[in-house]
Amino acid sequence: MATPLFQVPLIAEGRLIGLILDILIFALVIYYTSGDKHIYIRRVAGLDAIEEAVGRAAEMGKPVVASYGLGGFTYWTLAGLAILSHVATLSARTGTRLIVPTGGSTESLIVRPVAEEIVKTAYTMEGVPDQYNPDDLPFLSGQQYAYVGGYVGILQRTRPASTIMTGSHWSDAMNIAETSSAVGAITITSGAYISNVAALACASDYILIGEEAPAAGAYLSDDPAQRASIRVQDIFKWIALGCIILGLVLSNMGINLVENLLST
Amino acid sequence: MKMAEILKNRQLQIAVMALAFLLVFVPYFIEVPALEAASTKLITITAIVNAVTLILALQSQVRRGLNIVQRRQTGWYFKAYMIITMVLMVVFAFFGRETGPYHWVMYAVVNPLSSVNYGILAFYMASTAARAFRARNTQAILLLTTGFIVLLYQAPLTGAYAPWLEPIALYFGDTFGMAAGRMFLISVTVGAIVFGVRVLMGKETSVLGVGKEEV
Repeated sequence: MATPLFQVPLIAEGRLIGLILDILIFALVIYYTSGDKHIYIRRVAGLDAIEEAVGRAAEMGKPVVASYGLGGFTYWTLAGLAILSHVATLSARTGTRLIVPTGGSTESLIVRPVAEEIVKTAYTMEGVPDQYNPDDLPFLSGQQYAYVGGYVGILQRTRPASTIMTGSHWSDAMNIAETSSAVGAITITSGAYISNVAALACASDYILIGEEAPAAGAYLSDDPAQRASIRVQDIFKWIALGCIILGLVLSNMGINLVENLLST
Repeated sequence: MKMAEILKNRQLQIAVMALAFLLVFVPYFIEVPALEAASTKLITITAIVNAVTLILALQSQVRRGLNIVQRRQTGWYFKAYMIITMVLMVVFAFFGRETGPYHWVMYAVVNPLSSVNYGILAFYMASTAARAFRARNTQAILLLTTGFIVLLYQAPLTGAYAPWLEPIALYFGDTFGMAAGRMFLISVTVGAIVFGVRVLMGKETSVLGVGKEEV
């Protein structure tokens, strides 16, 4: 059982290090997003492929199907919406039909108007507001598997050139990814939970794993400073890795320093 | 200036978001009873606003559906069916959710249909596996072998005929599986926090339903 190294008045027990790390993340993101920093960010194949996927659809004259998940306003959904915004801009630019199946849960009803606004804004910004068709954002159902039935039906009927499925898709993700693959569409997915990732990796052409989806908004941004904020994620992954290795070594020597420190 | 225009102001939206964030974030770390009470109140307000938003969203769906039915657009009958079932379920709910017609629809119609869709997942998994699990190189062979062992372990008869598979399958799950799972969790958590900071700074404008140029 881990015991905190010390207690600071007013700070909740066991949450001091968490608070410090959070403040550090805040400070680093503000530092990296201020100014004009050009920092090398590794390429994310799944995000780079979005342009290719929309371009393919434009060349083939087929639609793109993109979804942002079926949950409420979680960070997965927000990440999905950021990607949807990019897909909608590319679709409007290339004159490609974009279909966005919505629904899947009761909470998704609240997200839907935001998704509509995003797609509408993208078409307006690209100077083609008349191409925006609200009927291409069908609300399929408030039930997860009825939504899947509708989504799979859309894929079978419209035979899209590309499917971009991001956000919080759960056990339904495999049905969608595999059907998309079966109809010959480029399939780009993001694994929202660990049990899905392995199967989705097999079913998709490209997959966004772990923090790649939440980083999409910054990665796809034209602003180099925004992209630089992704570096913070890498820094903290190195800190986590250091803690794991140090903790492993010390705990094998009978010292619980890292465990106790993280419980402080 | 009209109220709607004031509420659409992006800076105001971001300010409200930042205030709401602080009211939940600060009491989690710092023990100030007054802040905790404010945080609890905010969460209650959010739940009420959510419920009201849901009613507005339902109203919007019904209006859109009726519009499609009136124009006899492609698939209008599905919209008609959706509106009828929606209204019926609302009426049924007044008779109770644990018994009566609402319960029957959920128990005898919705749940079995959802289970069928969930069951189909097994076939999707099998077809994915058939495509992906080809021993093309060393990594694929490792994946194939591990997948085969874990799959066999999950089968009910394996316990009776090949009990020696259990420790191997558990070893894969408890070591490699757990390590990968934690890696996933750490990276997602860090990614989510960084994403949250960008949202609070007003950099992730798409979550407000606007493009960058519109801010």
